Amino acid sequence: MDLKECYARLEGDYAGVMGRLRQEERVAKFLRLFPQDENFALLTQALEGQDWPLAFRAVHSIKGVALTLGLTRLANSSGQLTEVLRPGAPTQDPWPLYRAIQEDYNKTVAAIGGLDNG
Amino acid sequence: MEKQTEKTGRRGVVLVVDDNALNRALLTDILDPDYTVLEAATGREALGILTARWTDISLILLDVIMPEIDGFELLSVMNQRNWLDAVPVIMLSADGSPGYIERAYDLGATDYITRPFDERTVRHRVENTINLYAKQKVMEDMVTEQIMEKERSNFQMVEILSNVVEFRNGESGLHVRHVRAITDVLLHCLRRRCPQYGLTTAKIAVITNASALHDIGKISIDEKILNKPSRLTPEEFEIMKTHTVTGARMLEETPQQDADNDSFLHVAHDICRWHHERYDGRGYPDGLVGEEIPIAAQVVALADVYDALTATRVYKPAYPPDQALQMILNGECGTFNPVLLECLKECAHRLKRELDLNLSSSMSAMEIRRVTSELLSHGELSTAGRTLNLLEQERSKAQFYADTTQDIFFEYDRESHQLTTSAAGERLLGIKPPVTHPDTDPQILALGAGLWDELREQLKEATYLDPDVQAECTLTLSGQPRRCRVDLRALWGGEDLPDYVRVVGKLTLLED
Repeated sequence: MDLKECYARLEGDYAGVMGRLRQEERVAKFLRLFPQDENFALLTQALEGQDWPLAFRAVHSIKGVALTLGLTRLANSSGQLTEVLRPGAPTQDPWPLYRAIQEDYNKTVAAIGGLDNG
Repeated sequence: MEKQTEKTGRRGVVLVVDDNALNRALLTDILDPDYTVLEAATGREALGILTARWTDISLILLDVIMPEIDGFELLSVMNQRNWLDAVPVIMLSADGSPGYIERAYDLGATDYITRPFDERTVRHRVENTINLYAKQKVMEDMVTEQIMEKERSNFQMVEILSNVVEFRNGESGLHVRHVRAITDVLLHCLRRRCPQYGLTTAKIAVITNASALHDIGKISIDEKILNKPSRLTPEEFEIMKTHTVTGARMLEETPQQDADNDSFLHVAHDICRWHHERYDGRGYPDGLVGEEIPIAAQVVALADVYDALTATRVYKPAYPPDQALQMILNGECGTFNPVLLECLKECAHRLKRELDLNLSSSMSAMEIRRVTSELLSHGELSTAGRTLNLLEQERSKAQFYADTTQDIFFEYDRESHQLTTSAAGERLLGIKPPVTHPDTDPQILALGAGLWDELREQLKEATYLDPDVQAECTLTLSGQPRRCRVDLRALWGGEDLPDYVRVVGKLTLLED
């Protein structure tokens, strides 16, 4: 699967990210780094331990990286939980939003895993 | 840092502060060919880097949300420490909410970029901001240079004027310098003890400089009286006393531009007229009592007495500093403000040192302080002022090493032909400062006739890129020949200049 197909699979914005970061190699390089980012694991732990400030920072970080890399779907779901956690404690049950992120995250990682080596 | 830029073709150093490794790596990837990029994963780490080398950093790209110290907190600290004047900060955040953006600008951020960012936007904003700051720096340097030049010539004018008086007085000009140095030390001590005198750095600088003029009224006194080796008759003493009022009148008649109480002329006037007043009212010319005597005049009066005691005069030998201090404390030279006597006691040790060494360097710590305060009085030049502060810290550090090391270090300034050695060097080689023109100085010739020429010959090998040379030679120490090794480093004024301006060296005595 090439980069464009990968973005289609993870419901991202290929044209957008190419417009901003310009080089296909660069986008692919940093996309491949995405699964190593620990913030999703951190978010899971923090929510389980009800550490809201940590959960906020983790999900905010996921949102930031998702925006940077044009991972539109993940950026939307993580953006929603970010707003719910911003006040310092959740304004609504965070778990349904978490599960949406989990689904998008897994889909994203899977798509990146199917990317051609190059 | 500029050297690095020249050599690598990079346009500056950018510090990327973001807790997310992927974000840092991406920004480094975007900037790397053109800039040296430093990364910090936390606000705390960034603070560490800045504390150590903020003057090296051209720009910071700063994330907002981070654990412990976040972007806003780091920005506030930078603001407090006045680093933002020299180091611009561009905030980077996925939050584009007006509240965040406003807060960032309020705290002094130069720019705010929201994620997702466009690579070209980041590059251009970084480049433009760095260029803008670089241009401002050049302007600041130019103005700094001019102010320094102005201060230097002011200082020199006052010195020339006071020397004219001194030479007529049969003195060497040292008295004026000593009084200046003592006044400076006493005032800094007094500032700590008594905030009520309102002694700002600027005010201290004015008083210190004006102190040099305390005796200008003596220009009107007949030389026969001025240089009379024996005791003055009562009539002659009455004439002598008029130098206070005469000096003050000369200054009153000088047209002045700003007539505020802290102006140079005003302070100099007070010092001239009242530096022979005494705290108990038994001085002259006006018999002022206690705090009626302006503090500037009180301090100079004490400095004048202290230096008169420790110096040789036609009518008396020099008293050792400790004895002079005791005589003043005993009230043998009139009554002084008790707080000032406390200051004198506290500073006695420092005074001894200052009077010994301060006078040999071409620009003393005191002068640097003056220039610094003048610069700081121009708010927009705070960066340049801090640069000078750093310079003063460096000097002080170097002085400390020179005083405490057991090694023989020396430094030679090619322009002033001055040679200075560490305290251990003076002791072991038996050199008494100041040494100017070491090639003809008898103290140096006594160590070895061709010694200096030999070292100078060796220094011809030194280049800007390879400034270190070594030599072995033989010294004559207490009549005995002694082999020694000399390590030399030539210091250049700039890469494109043909010759070195200064030499630092270390002399090691070899075992026989």
